[in-house]
Amino acid sequence: MDETVAEYIRRTVLKIPRDEIKTMLEKWGLLSETQLQTINFRQIKESISQDVVQLCEENSVDIKQAAVLDIIYNHVYPNKRVWCVYQMKKTGEEAEFFDLTDFKKKFKGRLRSALKNVTINFREYEDNAIWIRIAWGTPYTKPNQYKPSYVVYHSQTPYVFISASVLKSNLPLLCQALVLASNYHDIREMELRSHSLNSLKDIVFKRYSQNFQTHYPRPLQERNVAPKSDLRIIQENRNEKERIERVNREVFGDGPQPKLEFAQYKLETMFKSDPQMDVLDKKEPFRCLVKFSSPHLLESLKSLAPAGMADAPISPLLTCIPQKARNYFKIREKKHFFPESFVSP
Amino acid sequence: MAAGAAPRPARRGGRREGGSNGPRREAAPGLVSVMESVEAVARTLLSFGRLSRGLPFGRAHGLSSRDPLLPLAPRSQENADPQRTAFLLRKQWTLYSVTPLYRFSNAHLRDYARLLSAFIAAEKQKGLAVEVGVELDIKVAVSSLPYLKGSDQDQAAILVQLSSRSPASPKNSEEKLIWSGWFCCVSGDNLSKNVPEDFTCLPLFLVNGAECYTSIVGSWFQKTFDCSFRRLAISPLILSWMAAMWTGCKVDKTASAMELVFSVPCLPQPLDISYAIHPEDAKALWDTVQKTPGEIIQEEVDVFMDCLYSHFHRHFRIHLSATKLVKVSTAIASAHCDGIIKVRF
Repeated sequence: MDETVAEYIRRTVLKIPRDEIKTMLEKWGLLSETQLQTINFRQIKESISQDVVQLCEENSVDIKQAAVLDIIYNHVYPNKRVWCVYQMKKTGEEAEFFDLTDFKKKFKGRLRSALKNVTINFREYEDNAIWIRIAWGTPYTKPNQYKPSYVVYHSQTPYVFISASVLKSNLPLLCQALVLASNYHDIREMELRSHSLNSLKDIVFKRYSQNFQTHYPRPLQERNVAPKSDLRIIQENRNEKERIERVNREVFGDGPQPKLEFAQYKLETMFKSDPQMDVLDKKEPFRCLVKFSSPHLLESLKSLAPAGMADAPISPLLTCIPQKARNYFKIREKKHFFPESFVSP
Repeated sequence: MAAGAAPRPARRGGRREGGSNGPRREAAPGLVSVMESVEAVARTLLSFGRLSRGLPFGRAHGLSSRDPLLPLAPRSQENADPQRTAFLLRKQWTLYSVTPLYRFSNAHLRDYARLLSAFIAAEKQKGLAVEVGVELDIKVAVSSLPYLKGSDQDQAAILVQLSSRSPASPKNSEEKLIWSGWFCCVSGDNLSKNVPEDFTCLPLFLVNGAECYTSIVGSWFQKTFDCSFRRLAISPLILSWMAAMWTGCKVDKTASAMELVFSVPCLPQPLDISYAIHPEDAKALWDTVQKTPGEIIQEEVDVFMDCLYSHFHRHFRIHLSATKLVKVSTAIASAHCDGIIKVRF
């Protein structure tokens, strides 16, 4: 077994949390039951990984097989990467039957004809998701296994989730290969990025509970509810509080929000002030860049109005994130009729 | 560092008569003088960068705008040797407030250096402090900076520098500066008047260098002069002041944005908001707000910030004034509420 393969296996095993190593090796299936039993999974990770490498030596594992372990790891821990969403377009033909073999063949063919040195792995999962791992090389160098790109393609949809490696120059080629292999004719990057792959899927597949713009009728029971708390406690602004809760639910929806970590707005709108203030009155846009970040951005934004830090309803620029399936925006002033509203290209 | 209380000499007198232009915000009386020092230091740092052209001088809070507070910048500029002030620039300074030093004398600086040097050596022997595996010969220099003060009554700033030379390198090789700390008093007449005899008032301490050295130097000062140090938090009020002041400075075309960072920690999911404005647009806004030549008054800072907050509210319907301003950053310098100032130029 090549030394580089051994080192790669060793480092991949080290990434895995100790309690998960056995399960992942079993999923991997490159080591037999008997071999796995010889490993003491309670020793320190360095020792476990060395034992694994030794056993792989016995089985003459090659780099392509080693790469499968990396896919398994990334499938269990996708949130360690940042994923971007791409949408493919057809020229209005009917949906064709998806042939996996054909897809793989065309995909590999396109990449290999451009770059002699690439390592390509495919792995299918239950939810029609095809995971593709690509390690990139050049005509003169071997593929860099430590900076692979990952693609998750749900064949029944036009959406592709890409976690590009640092080697961004390969992105156009990757897109080409995807379009060719899947029989689409174009691909575009959506302005939607996150660590949480599942949340991105929730957003584009519309799997979250969406808010409805219709009036949310106030249930009768709210009016007749007997106060359970101490009668000496008076809730001031009860009506306003309830209005805020209700409006907030309307704009955000009732269910759990998809998990995003950031949203970015490039503002190119005019600065407007109270004319009495006698301040800036330029004819050019007031250029700003606003970034929101949070471990769970949408839940955080949802809690702002009830906390008194935002008006209810909060701005549609924020609540439209799941529907528009984007978290990067460029906001320009809408001309003519409604100076207070914004258009987002 | 001891987290002792920072007793301040009581401020006598308060608001002066006349010329009050409207509502003013007052910080807690005990901290006003230290805050003034922080603000004055910020101005000092700017003036040393030779950006004093067009830089107005700030007026402190709670005092009338006719207060003949001697502006810091011109005095410092007259006597400042650019070589000696270079140490201030392009560095990050962590701020501490210091209680008055008992029986400190400018005449004994050499002795202090010697004693501190011995103390450091002793600490090293004990095995405490300093970085692991680094065997350094540490030299201490304590000097006075007579041009760094707000008024004649103020105590001159004191600079402590630690340099090292590895024992392996030849005797005449360059010493490397590894740690700097300077005490200063730039708060003007009011503070110095109230200091009892035998006490020296240097309420602000700025540090650049490793925490381990800060700890040793701090302990020595505490033991020797019966003072105590506490990390200084910079309030949102002062941060806005700095943002306004630094935005007004002339910068070149490639300047970085004026950025305000807000934190909303007390939500179910914490939220951070970064609001960055193109430096030309921010300056244009400030220039229309700042009306009195040669001065900045609190109202102007308030108007400036309100303009930025209302522009933000127009888009997002979030009240930035309800959140906590934690950091301001401009092309010239940045300041963080944890008491860290970074000078960029």
